[in-house]
Amino acid sequence: MGFLAPWFLGGLAALGVPVFVHLLRRHKATPRPVSSLMFFERGTQSSTRHRRLRYLVLFALRCALVLLVVLAFANPYIWKATADANFRLLLIVLDHSFSMRARTRFGDAKQKALALLAGKPHGQKAQIMSLGGQLEVRTAAITDDAPLRAALENIQPGDGHASFGELGQAMRSLAETEPGPIELHLFSDMQRTAMPSNLSEAVLPNNVELVLHPVADGPAPANWTVESVEAPATLSDPKDPKHSRVRAVIAGFGTPAATKAVSLVVNGKTIATRKIDVPAGGRATVEFAPLDVGYGFNRCEVRVESEDAFPADDTSVFAVRRSDPERVLFVHAADDARSALYFGSALSAATLGSFVLQSVAAEQTTDLDPTKYAFVVLSDAVTLPGIFEHTLGQYLAKGGRALIALGTSAGHHAQIPLWGGDVKDTHDYAREGGTVAVGQVDFSYPALDQARPGADNGGWGEVKVFYAAVPEPGQARVAARLSDATPLLLDKQVGEGHIVLLASGLENLTNDLPLHPIFVVFVDRMARYLSGDERLSGSKVVDSFAQLRGAAEPAGVAASVEVIDPDGHRPLSLNEARTMQSVRLERSGFYQIRFANGRDAVIGVNPDRHESNLEPLSKDVQDLWSGGSASSGTQPAGSAAVQVKARPVSLWWYVMLLALVVALAETALASGYLGTQREEA
Amino acid sequence: MQRFLDPQVLAGISSLDLLAKTVVDGFVAGLHRSPDFGFSQEFAEYRAYVPGDDLRHVDWNLFARTERCYLKRYRGETNTQVTVLLDASNSMQYTSGPPTKMDYARFIAASLFYLAIHNQRDAAGLIVFDEDVREYIRPSTRPGQLARLFAALERAEPRATTDFAKPLRHFQNFLHRRGIVILISDFYEEPEKIVRSSAPLRFHGNEMVLLHILDPQEIRPELRGSALLVDLETDRRIEVIPEYAKTTYRAKIDTHIEELRSRAQGAGMDYQLLITSESLDRALRGYLSLRQAGN
Repeated sequence: MGFLAPWFLGGLAALGVPVFVHLLRRHKATPRPVSSLMFFERGTQSSTRHRRLRYLVLFALRCALVLLVVLAFANPYIWKATADANFRLLLIVLDHSFSMRARTRFGDAKQKALALLAGKPHGQKAQIMSLGGQLEVRTAAITDDAPLRAALENIQPGDGHASFGELGQAMRSLAETEPGPIELHLFSDMQRTAMPSNLSEAVLPNNVELVLHPVADGPAPANWTVESVEAPATLSDPKDPKHSRVRAVIAGFGTPAATKAVSLVVNGKTIATRKIDVPAGGRATVEFAPLDVGYGFNRCEVRVESEDAFPADDTSVFAVRRSDPERVLFVHAADDARSALYFGSALSAATLGSFVLQSVAAEQTTDLDPTKYAFVVLSDAVTLPGIFEHTLGQYLAKGGRALIALGTSAGHHAQIPLWGGDVKDTHDYAREGGTVAVGQVDFSYPALDQARPGADNGGWGEVKVFYAAVPEPGQARVAARLSDATPLLLDKQVGEGHIVLLASGLENLTNDLPLHPIFVVFVDRMARYLSGDERLSGSKVVDSFAQLRGAAEPAGVAASVEVIDPDGHRPLSLNEARTMQSVRLERSGFYQIRFANGRDAVIGVNPDRHESNLEPLSKDVQDLWSGGSASSGTQPAGSAAVQVKARPVSLWWYVMLLALVVALAETALASGYLGTQREEA
Repeated sequence: MQRFLDPQVLAGISSLDLLAKTVVDGFVAGLHRSPDFGFSQEFAEYRAYVPGDDLRHVDWNLFARTERCYLKRYRGETNTQVTVLLDASNSMQYTSGPPTKMDYARFIAASLFYLAIHNQRDAAGLIVFDEDVREYIRPSTRPGQLARLFAALERAEPRATTDFAKPLRHFQNFLHRRGIVILISDFYEEPEKIVRSSAPLRFHGNEMVLLHILDPQEIRPELRGSALLVDLETDRRIEVIPEYAKTTYRAKIDTHIEELRSRAQGAGMDYQLLITSESLDRALRGYLSLRQAGN
């Protein structure tokens, strides 16, 4: 036994206070004459003795209180021989990524984890996590074996892509909240593709001891897979040889050269089979054309016939929606023929014929019904027939969308149809002796969406604008500005619909945008945004997200979405279906989604193809990651070393608790005495 | 005049003569009665005549008006003798503030003497005792008796212990005539023993009055912390805690007073508890009521 803060023992001098009060300053009874002691009898003496006893008890309690408080501050401790393991958090991480489905990897890993858990000392805290598309915490740090075992047994193989970098990041976060040492046992196939290219991302903090339990021994088994599929998400003309085709890449990992049969399956029926030669450890491309599918959503998959160690990755699914081309109403000024040409060409190239442009002069729109079109484009058409403008307004109020491009006519006519604001000014940069570039672009805007815009501002850096109108922005969202801060692209909600306003034209007179490749991308994204058709089919990767409702849903409207996963279950609760903005696609297969706007979609979801490469990390890298000699790559499960050590156990809490009890007793005893004194006074 | 009955005021008067006069005059004035009270025949009642009655007592004036015979009766008038037995033991010198119990007893005795001799023309005597009879002055109405009594009271300083049996036995020897016997003491003795010692006097036809003199602190003692109490008579010491004085002692003294009152009244004696902080008129009123009853 010792004291962690022995200098506080100096406080024992405070013991002199009760000694002085009770012993040195003891009450001396003053002789007091009375007529007779006739009525003072033995009972008085007994009471006095009892009273003295109470004073002694009070004295003892006060001394004990001072002593205990001083001891508590001095922080006494005892050496307690105990198992060191009890003070280490046993963290079991089970890899349930897609590659763990190969052979018996997942079953083996789970059995080893269960065996390790069974050998855990009873008092040791443990925590269960699973590593798949993301690191999931299955239990808190607890000592009870039953829930730990149940959590382990409930882990099922998933379709996600494991990342040791994410594991390292999670451990660094955990180490900030868990002060003690952590013994991390990772049960995994130690896939090489799970290790980030930068090893530092997977580095674990100092108090985490990593013990690896690889379940894939020996060389990586040969595995063929459908690495990628290129197919149209929407198909309007199956006979179009440019668009109606499926191109798949077959890859082999650790495979010898072989001839493989690749099949295209549409709605469960094999419609074509090709044989291709796949070089050793290489790739080969196979193409199916034409893609003859029926109207509506078609669930397609490319399947490679192989008998390898990992049959689960031999297919790749995707959805193709066949529909007639949607019409786009393009209203232009009577003297403007260029904008329709540029916009139509870009639209045809970008959307693989899914949209057909119907070009109409503004004066001829009187009898047109906008509801029959996917969206409407007003190109420099600032003067519309009243009937059409009224019809178009109703169309927008009910959820329709339109693109308005302001050409040179905006300089003569201040009012912008349907926008709710006027043109405040115009900039004729060409006459002013120069041009302006596109300055600021909001790449989070759906029509300008780019994940990684480059140094050329996502392709917009080269665009030069000669003429631009300056509209009143009002409540509109400004998605792009010119370098002189003039708004270039604005989005305003009108009723339930949207108007996208381009402050320049769609021809090459007011800007050179149609001459740049970014124009095709812009038209493609804009067409999908305006038609609300951007996410209705195709394929995605496991653990990606599908947007369920637009960011600008009308206020007070909480339309439900419906999501059916590949197993036919509805993963969203009723409340989630009314509120969630997006859903995480966790399983491979076909997801069927009904969006908030009522449109249906079928999306094929495939595992990350990095999971198909079953090659494990090299022994050197494993040793490096787990700390060299500390690595227990071959350590059998359940052999977590338990060393018996003497550990100082602080007793201050118990001492303080005892002091509290003594203080309460002293208070009760002293208050009785002081109460009597007060009454006498 | 009532303020002159206040013990604290009286404690400032050194002369017992003046003190007694002050008290009695103040007391009598408070009664709103004539100073000649009791010294003439007083009408008492009418009673119907019955054969054998003395015809001298028939009220003929009433007979002339009503033709009925009634006897007119008068209150008789006799002189009595008052004897004060004064306890002068050590316990009587206790005080928690002026006056001491002894002084208070002196005031009472002096006032009674003055009232008896000067106003009632009764014979008055004194026995001062502790454990023995220390001084005896025979009851008399002679001139100078009041001065002798006052002088004896002045000499009665507290000492020794109390013994009721011996002085009361002694007193019986001097008792030749019925009268009023007033015993002034703090009565720190068993009530049974006190009454048993006093009862023989009562048997001789005396009217017996027990005046119990106590200090307020003796009834409701207040202790601040434990105290070492010293018996004034025996010098015995004992340490007492406040709780005891507050609870058990009070119960015991109350029981003692009640038992003494009960036993005294049971034996036909009058009992008065006098607290030294109270005015003296209660004692005088008791005497007069007893005097009237005796007539």
